[in-house]
Amino acid sequence: MEEIEKTFSKEQAAIEAERCLYCYDAPCETACPAHVPIAEFIQSIRTDNLKGAREIIQEAHPLIETCGRICPEESFCQSACTRIKMDTPIKIRELHRYITDNTDPSENLELVPATRGKIAIVGGGPAGLTCARELRRFGYQPVVFEKKQLGGVPANEISATRLPEEIEKKEARFVHHNFVSEIKDTTIKSLEELDKEYSAIFISTGLPGELNLDIPGSNLDGVYYSRELLKRAKSGAKLPHFKRVGVIGGGNVAVEVASVLKIEDPLRDVEVIYRRGTKELKAFKKEIEEAIEVGVTFQLLAIPKKIEGDKRVEGLVVTRAYLGEKDPSGRRNPVPIPNSDFVIPLDAVVIAIGQKADVYFPKVERDAKGLVKVSDGLMTNVKGVFAGGDIVRGASTVVECVADGKKAAQNIAKYLEGGKNV
Amino acid sequence: MYKKIDLSMEFLGICLENPFILSAAPPTDEFDIAYNGLKAGWGGIILKTTSVEGNSVPLKYPMMSSFGSMSRKVIGLGNIDLISGYQIDEIEKRVKTLKEVFPEKMIGASIMGTKKEDWQTLVWRLKKAGVDLIECSFSCPQGSMGEEAGRMLAQSIEATEKVARWVKEAAEDTPVLIKITPQVTDIVEVAKAVKRGGADGITASNTIPSLLGIDINTFEPYPSLFGKGAYSGLSGPAIKPITLRTIAEIAKNVDITISGNGGAFNWRDAVEFMAVGASNVQFCTLPMHYGFRTIEDLKRGFAHYLSDMGFNSPLDIVGKALPNIKSQDELPSPKTLAELVEEKCVGCGLCYLACFDGGHMAIDWDSEKRVPHFDEEKCVGCAMCMQICPVDAIKMKEKIEGSNSVYYFVEKR
Repeated sequence: MEEIEKTFSKEQAAIEAERCLYCYDAPCETACPAHVPIAEFIQSIRTDNLKGAREIIQEAHPLIETCGRICPEESFCQSACTRIKMDTPIKIRELHRYITDNTDPSENLELVPATRGKIAIVGGGPAGLTCARELRRFGYQPVVFEKKQLGGVPANEISATRLPEEIEKKEARFVHHNFVSEIKDTTIKSLEELDKEYSAIFISTGLPGELNLDIPGSNLDGVYYSRELLKRAKSGAKLPHFKRVGVIGGGNVAVEVASVLKIEDPLRDVEVIYRRGTKELKAFKKEIEEAIEVGVTFQLLAIPKKIEGDKRVEGLVVTRAYLGEKDPSGRRNPVPIPNSDFVIPLDAVVIAIGQKADVYFPKVERDAKGLVKVSDGLMTNVKGVFAGGDIVRGASTVVECVADGKKAAQNIAKYLEGGKNV
Repeated sequence: MYKKIDLSMEFLGICLENPFILSAAPPTDEFDIAYNGLKAGWGGIILKTTSVEGNSVPLKYPMMSSFGSMSRKVIGLGNIDLISGYQIDEIEKRVKTLKEVFPEKMIGASIMGTKKEDWQTLVWRLKKAGVDLIECSFSCPQGSMGEEAGRMLAQSIEATEKVARWVKEAAEDTPVLIKITPQVTDIVEVAKAVKRGGADGITASNTIPSLLGIDINTFEPYPSLFGKGAYSGLSGPAIKPITLRTIAEIAKNVDITISGNGGAFNWRDAVEFMAVGASNVQFCTLPMHYGFRTIEDLKRGFAHYLSDMGFNSPLDIVGKALPNIKSQDELPSPKTLAELVEEKCVGCGLCYLACFDGGHMAIDWDSEKRVPHFDEEKCVGCAMCMQICPVDAIKMKEKIEGSNSVYYFVEKR
């Protein structure tokens, strides 16, 4: 499938790079969770030094081709751009992508020998891969436990129209070949399974489960869960044959699966059905814009009440809502309007209301949502066991998981050097 | 729907409809192009330098090259062009026709010769064709003819005076401009030689000998002809400051009419050229880059400027800046300090960096609030921070010892 966004031309990049003020102690870099040296790489674009620019980014971040495509810049670097005070912020992600699309990963690596202990990393997504790379740079031997395709959610679920399959896999492979001592194809469910071989453990399993929608009819034929569809689409398999589908949810996954369904079959009607309004949609602006562009429609302020049908889905009963008071997250709550139920005729319903953790590692303390509790240094209640990424944060972004991976590696090293290993 | 703009002025006895002239260069080398330029509204034209019949003009292509940033390619334009391939037999016909079609416009022609006889023949034939003005190229960087081979005529004081005299002798009452080069030890001496020779004015100044660039992969110079290149004449915005200095120095020291040329790219530049002593301004790189249509903005911008400033004629601004141009040792010694206009500051920190690494370490940086603080003890008032501030949030405050009045110096970019 073709990518929706095109990379900048040399001319576009030159004009955009010229706009960058090259701030001292650049606020965009502070706002980037992975602290990519943005002002420096933009300066290198100005001098057409793309190899140098790539090295700067790659030093800070192992999954840069992925982030160059899907990072929600408006939430991070761009939100701090000084240029906002003058006119419009720099298109930082697009410039970043311009570099990665025009260069190969730098093989110009020099690593200290891996003479330090083995570290177990459970889960080969962005957090786990980053942690592995950073630990290897400190001289440890990271062992990654991953049963599926390396790369986590971006590699396995994000639509190829936004992130071509080979991109994330290539990056994951690069980390694997250069920084990971061993990949083990086993599922680890308890700390005991990891024998004394490992000096420390990093849990980065992500959130493999999906939240169920508890309304009548959710067991009918034609009810699907979003992430299984995304995985099938990413693996290249055909999706079930349906013509009018409602996607329940308002996050990135809901919008993503809606776009994938619409792009796969433009004759198919795809509607995102969401309880709250436009402003409350959690999905990133760019994803919403792209979904609208491909023809996805939005049914907002509609609370799902019941899925209708005999054996198969025939429709969704929703209650019209208006926006009431703000909830603790600052978003306004939907309030049902009495006697406002109506039916949306559908032949399939996709549920995309959130993700949940698997409840492995019984000794590790969790919160009410099942997320692992950690200290500032990302250590769990069990000494030597660290955690990061979505299993700690809830569904988040690649760049935040990368930041966790870096932070965990630093703290693991600190823990080991101050303790038993050095 | 707007009133007609009147920018007319007198120049060496010629009535110019506006002070913007197409210089002796590619835009005046083809009859149709020259015609289009005049039709578009340029005030006058100087046809590209011609020579006597039989003179060979070995042009080589590509002849153009440029330099600039990645996003703005042309800051400076370099050429290895020579004089026109058209000789006097063709040029005299063009002068005649253009004068018939555009009787109100200034039709000038540029000439270059070797011997006295050539120079004077060129003048006589152009006069007969009805030319309004004759410009003599003493300064084509790709080599002048005659006198000293490989040197520009205007680099020799004696040759400048001698040839100027030959030309003026033949031209009689037809005005003669001598086009000089800034590439000399003392521009004032050259200007004096022109005046002694009897010419009416100076065109200051020609393109500047330069080397446009080197391809760092092949080590070829630009422009490259089969891997080889030559020094070229630089024009465009890059040379404006040099031209300004050239015009100002002549205007301050020699009583002679000046036509400004070299680096003016818009009406603001034209105002500056005239403010340091030029009576009009010649253009080439601007129309070569963006076309003859640029005359519209030149005229309108210039006219609004004149009326906003309360001037009645373009001539009112000629030399206006000259009394303010002094030598460094003549300048006053105020106590100067940088001052922040806080509401304008966007917090980029570039002033801090400039002062810390290239100034006097007189700015402290509040990294929390992202605001610079100026240390009045350490600040010497060099104004580097003011130059690099992207939003003009820094002013320089000056005070003369013992006086109470504070002065903020103006600088708009």
